[in-house]
Amino acid sequence: MEVDGKEFKVDGDGFLQDPYIWNEEVAALFAKFDGIGELTEKHWAIVKFIRKNWEDTGMAPMIRSICQTTGVKLKDIYQLFPLGPARGACRIAGLPKPDGCV
Amino acid sequence: MDNFKNKKDKAIRILSEPKDSKLITHLNSCVHCGLCAESCMYYLATNDEKYIPAKKVDIISSIYQRYCTFTGKYFPVLTGSKELDEETKDEMIDLLFGACTLCGRCTKHCSIGVDISYVVRTGRQMLSEMDMVPATLQSTVNAAVQTGNNMSIPTEEFTDTLAWLEDELKNEVNDPMAAIPLNVTNTNILYTLNPREPKFFPLSISAMAKVFYAAKESWTLSTIMYDVTNYAYFTSNNEEAIIIAQRLYDEMLNLNSNRCILAECGHGSRAFRWEAPNYLRKKFPFEVITAVELLAEYISSGRIKLDKELNKEVMTLHDPCNLVREGGVIEQQRYIMKNTVCNFVEMTPHGTENFCCGGGGGQLAMSEYNERRMKIAEIKAEQIRRTGAKVVVTPCHNCVDQLMQIDNKFKLGVKIKTLAEIVADAIILE
Repeated sequence: MEVDGKEFKVDGDGFLQDPYIWNEEVAALFAKFDGIGELTEKHWAIVKFIRKNWEDTGMAPMIRSICQTTGVKLKDIYQLFPLGPARGACRIAGLPKPDGCV
Repeated sequence: MDNFKNKKDKAIRILSEPKDSKLITHLNSCVHCGLCAESCMYYLATNDEKYIPAKKVDIISSIYQRYCTFTGKYFPVLTGSKELDEETKDEMIDLLFGACTLCGRCTKHCSIGVDISYVVRTGRQMLSEMDMVPATLQSTVNAAVQTGNNMSIPTEEFTDTLAWLEDELKNEVNDPMAAIPLNVTNTNILYTLNPREPKFFPLSISAMAKVFYAAKESWTLSTIMYDVTNYAYFTSNNEEAIIIAQRLYDEMLNLNSNRCILAECGHGSRAFRWEAPNYLRKKFPFEVITAVELLAEYISSGRIKLDKELNKEVMTLHDPCNLVREGGVIEQQRYIMKNTVCNFVEMTPHGTENFCCGGGGGQLAMSEYNERRMKIAEIKAEQIRRTGAKVVVTPCHNCVDQLMQIDNKFKLGVKIKTLAEIVADAIILE
């Protein structure tokens, strides 16, 4: 996958193959690729929380934790990330693709 | 090599020791009329002949010819039979896992009634015996078998989420007694969920809880077994499918509920309602129906009151293959739409002729075939675009996710909702 002349190794769904190469620049470029454009303060709060949760527990956080920790309302999350918390936010946060119907 | 031979022998046993005559009949009947070609989204979207459903049947039937018939065993060259070698195995993986959503459209159109998707599932079962299921798909089955739900949600996280949603419900209906009951015995209904609801998309749980509240229903969720999905149906690994189905069966008995209500989930409703009695070899002593049928029942019996003026946007309906073509729930969702929204427009074609969203058959989970999945999705994108709808409603969480991706990729500008969500939006509380 190429964004702004930078190459990323991703799986078939566009999730980073090596989650450990992630940094904030990667997040900004992935968001651009998804058509989100410039990440706002709310986007960053969500992305950083998801990333920290994954680094601490090895799992993506529940949507409840995302809402309660960041203070972003549930319905707003789907507006901020049109592909949803998994294919949108978790992917931008550099996580591997979660299992299940996502 | 010996290892491959052992695995191969296990796979061939599925063909040589069938449980009944159905498989052999369906392997011996294709007359290559070609009618199935135009049914298949993979063929329609790519025009590549290798994707024609009859060719998928051919692989399995030529392996059957080679190993299970006299002429194939002794004169393989004369019968067009096929060795099950590395090359054939790779072809099977690519076509049976990578190029079929098990939508069943070809089966419906077959001029002589070959159950093509059953043959494809048999091929998947052979690959499963050989440990050749694509890793991304197997990973979701493993999560379910090992943790009790296909997203590995810990119980505490699950109960915290429901407590949070219960607070929201109390606020919304302005009643401190409104509840999302957990592990209650002797209720009328045990409701189930797709794990992606508590994990990432809980609006549909809130919606259904509001409907239950309005209907004054006696219901519960279980924290032991709430997962409506059964991804082992997609891998055709019957041993794993049985483990998953048995858990829900046991929990129904454990909580002593009358009715098992399957959440809006195409394959999950098929797997538990139509496949599980065969998996478990039992007649179920309780009722099993889908949330779609329950919602229609609440409306027709007057248990909930709706004002469709509350849903003013133009809405269309996507039919999940496993619920509609393969599951026989066809009119109830239309009845709900007509009673719930002002402007309902059908797609063309729809009902049992509808096209798959492109994410069925486990495709959504298989990153390996992502590009192909989004290629065939152009058919669904065009169907939606032609309706002019602003909202696509579908009673399947797997379809919801694929449709969200279709919206994003093809810039349709639509919202995707479940039936429970639009019903909840139109409810008038008394």
